[in-house]
Amino acid sequence: MSPSAHLDLLAALGYAVFEQSTDGSFHSLGDAPEWLPAGSLMEAFPFLEVFLPDAEAFWADPARDHSTLPSDFWTQTDARGNNLHFCAIAVAGEQKLLLIERTRLRFEQTQAFVQYAHQTKLAHDEIARLGRELQRATEAKSEFLARMSHEIRTPMNALLGVAELLSETPLNAEQGEYVRIFRRAGDNLLNVINDILDFSKIEAGQVELEYIAFDLADVVQEAIEIIGVRARAKGLCLNSDIRPEVPPRLMGDPGRLRQILLNLLSNAVKFTDRGGITVRVKPDADQPAPCTLHFTVRDTGVGIPFDRVSTIFDSFTQADASTTRKYGGTGLGLAISKRFVELMGGRIWAESTPGDGSTIHFTARFSVAETTTALEARAPKATAPAALANRALRILLADDSEDNRFLVRGYLRDTGCVIDEVTNGAEVVEKFKGGAYDMVLMDAEMPVMDGYSATRAMRALESERTGPPTPILALTAHALKEARDRSIEAGCTDHLTKPITKTALLEAVHRYAPEHPNAGRIHVAVESWLKPVIPAYLEKRRGDVAKLRFALDQGDYATIRTLGHQMAGSGAGYGFAEITEIGGTLEESALAGDAARIRDGVDALDRYLNNIVTE
Amino acid sequence: MLKKKICMVGQFGVGKTSLVRRFVDSIFDERYLTTIGVKIDRKDVSVDGKSLTLMLWDLAGEDDLAQLNVSHLRGASGYILVADGCRASTLEKAAELQQRITQTLGPIPFVLVVNKADLRDQWEVQSSQVAQYGWPTFETSAKAGSGVEEMFLGLAAILIRSHAASEAPGQ
Ligand SMILES: Nc1nc2c(ncn2[C@@H]2O[C@H](COP(=O)(O)OP(=O)(O)OP(=O)(O)O)[C@@H](O)[C@H]2O)c(=O)[nH]1
Ligand SMILES: [Mg+2]
Repeated sequence: MSPSAHLDLLAALGYAVFEQSTDGSFHSLGDAPEWLPAGSLMEAFPFLEVFLPDAEAFWADPARDHSTLPSDFWTQTDARGNNLHFCAIAVAGEQKLLLIERTRLRFEQTQAFVQYAHQTKLAHDEIARLGRELQRATEAKSEFLARMSHEIRTPMNALLGVAELLSETPLNAEQGEYVRIFRRAGDNLLNVINDILDFSKIEAGQVELEYIAFDLADVVQEAIEIIGVRARAKGLCLNSDIRPEVPPRLMGDPGRLRQILLNLLSNAVKFTDRGGITVRVKPDADQPAPCTLHFTVRDTGVGIPFDRVSTIFDSFTQADASTTRKYGGTGLGLAISKRFVELMGGRIWAESTPGDGSTIHFTARFSVAETTTALEARAPKATAPAALANRALRILLADDSEDNRFLVRGYLRDTGCVIDEVTNGAEVVEKFKGGAYDMVLMDAEMPVMDGYSATRAMRALESERTGPPTPILALTAHALKEARDRSIEAGCTDHLTKPITKTALLEAVHRYAPEHPNAGRIHVAVESWLKPVIPAYLEKRRGDVAKLRFALDQGDYATIRTLGHQMAGSGAGYGFAEITEIGGTLEESALAGDAARIRDGVDALDRYLNNIVTE
Repeated sequence: MLKKKICMVGQFGVGKTSLVRRFVDSIFDERYLTTIGVKIDRKDVSVDGKSLTLMLWDLAGEDDLAQLNVSHLRGASGYILVADGCRASTLEKAAELQQRITQTLGPIPFVLVVNKADLRDQWEVQSSQVAQYGWPTFETSAKAGSGVEEMFLGLAAILIRSHAASEAPGQ
């Protein structure tokens, strides 16, 4: 092909062709296409400023002979405002050729491809951003709720507590009634707050179910007993029927199950004026799993209007807004129950004939509990709080609020407990160092040093002495799970949420009261270099107590003599003169075959070992 | 007339093209049409009583596949680093581009722009993050038009002054 034939072909393909002269300028070869602007090439195409240096380097490189170098696309606007797209091509050969192409198709294809990639990425980023925004909003909401609940619960604590104390003072009939109304309204308000808090926690996904062993019959019975007071007051009867096929011991969340039943039962009582309410539990016929249970709560009340049956579990709807006004409550109880049921892998629904009562059904999944679990072994002692009386515990109470200290003092007045009071974390640690306390009641938020830091400091002190750890009960106005976790993490034994009722406080104090209160504690100062071996030594002696009792049962006086002898020889050396003395007595009595005296000796040793605190 | 080349650089979708359109044609388009290669516009302005022609080179935004072709900044008198206030990552990208450009071309005048100020309630970029760089910074909205003119003319003023300084005898 002749050079001019080449040019014709290039022109036909839409290229403007230029050749570089030796002086570096460009002149056009062949006919200029109609789109080529008049004037100098560089004026017409500013883009060439950045492309030509690359083209020059390319042309200068002999290895590039007969190859081409394309430029990037560039776009510029013509006099009529249209966007035109161009691209340049440097061709290496005998001549230095520069082709300029006005492109449309190739440009648009590239653009479509990149556009798709960018838009996809932007959409992903936007979703991620919305996710972060939602997360922040949720956190802000639960933070706000936690703070609100704190702000409300703290004064509520004082109000309800004082009302409780007031109700225990001599009152005339009229005053008694006022106090009762006062307490009932306070309890209702507290229930409302708890409902809202519960609901928000569920909404924020902050609820985790427990998984522990429990007796189904106990849970049902407890719910019935609690609601029974109200049912009896209205003349209703309340029954339960658990089918024999239902396994009696289950694993699951008894607290939440109780809450569901309480919600359903209290609703049923609210809307029933005659007849009764029955709770039934049977295996779920639709589920092959043995432990999916079907609960029904049936009442003989006003029933639910047909068109409302499906919406009563939505938040904030009670069958009729007017019922909220008439019967009280937040209308959240059923919505909360629904969420709990769903968390338990079940569903909840209602059946009703208006005027003829309604039945609420729900299913929930559990598993069958093995025999006694470790958890049960730790279950609280079941004795009544009254058993606290005359235990004479020494309690260290730390709270900066005078109102709260007044309440706790009032609650514990008749128990014989001796209470030392401090108002900040630093004082608590100071007092704890000096005195032997059976229990510490610790407000979490105090000035100077908060309850968490104080608890940590006290646990650190304890790690340097022997003897069982002192129960520390955190008292906070925070109801969220994080608050509880925080207390436990700091080393608290348990966590009580304000407002604390008298019953709850007494129950907790009783539950955690040590078997052998400090009142009878024996403090022994030991040499610091002996401290590391003391725990093992005392542990061995505790083992001896069991061996001694066994030997005594068997009439094995030889063993008793040996053990007594060993104790007599070692006790004082470790700083426990009492052990030496008891050991001597045991040795002597064993020689004499005096069983009664041996028994006294072993008891004395047991007591001594249980009450000893080394410092 | 004095002619100055200014480049728009930044992550894709931050609003480089929209800023130029707002400045040159006083229009805004909600639709996103990504820039391929380079788009070149010109605008005559007058700053400090001096007229000059701005050659605005709107460069394709960076993405994971394509890096900025720094050679497109050859001969530029200044550049505009654009970030999108709604996407914090675009500010980091802008800082990274500033480093790369300085490494290749040496220090040349530039301004930082945080765009989409009309969506400020969705911004993820905090002013403290912006302030940490200590660069001349503008907040703009190509959509509402706010800050756009100030920004372009602000950079033009910097260019004129540095031009005057480089021409002044004995400096
Ligand atoms: N709300 C709002 N949207 C804007 C603004 N500036 C640009 N946009 C939108 O953001 C998208 C991207 O704008 P462009 O100007 O094309 O972004 P670009 O930086 O040129 O993007 P590339 O060319 O892909 O690098 C478009 O949908 C614009 O409408 C602004 O100030 N406010
Ligand atoms: Mg663009």
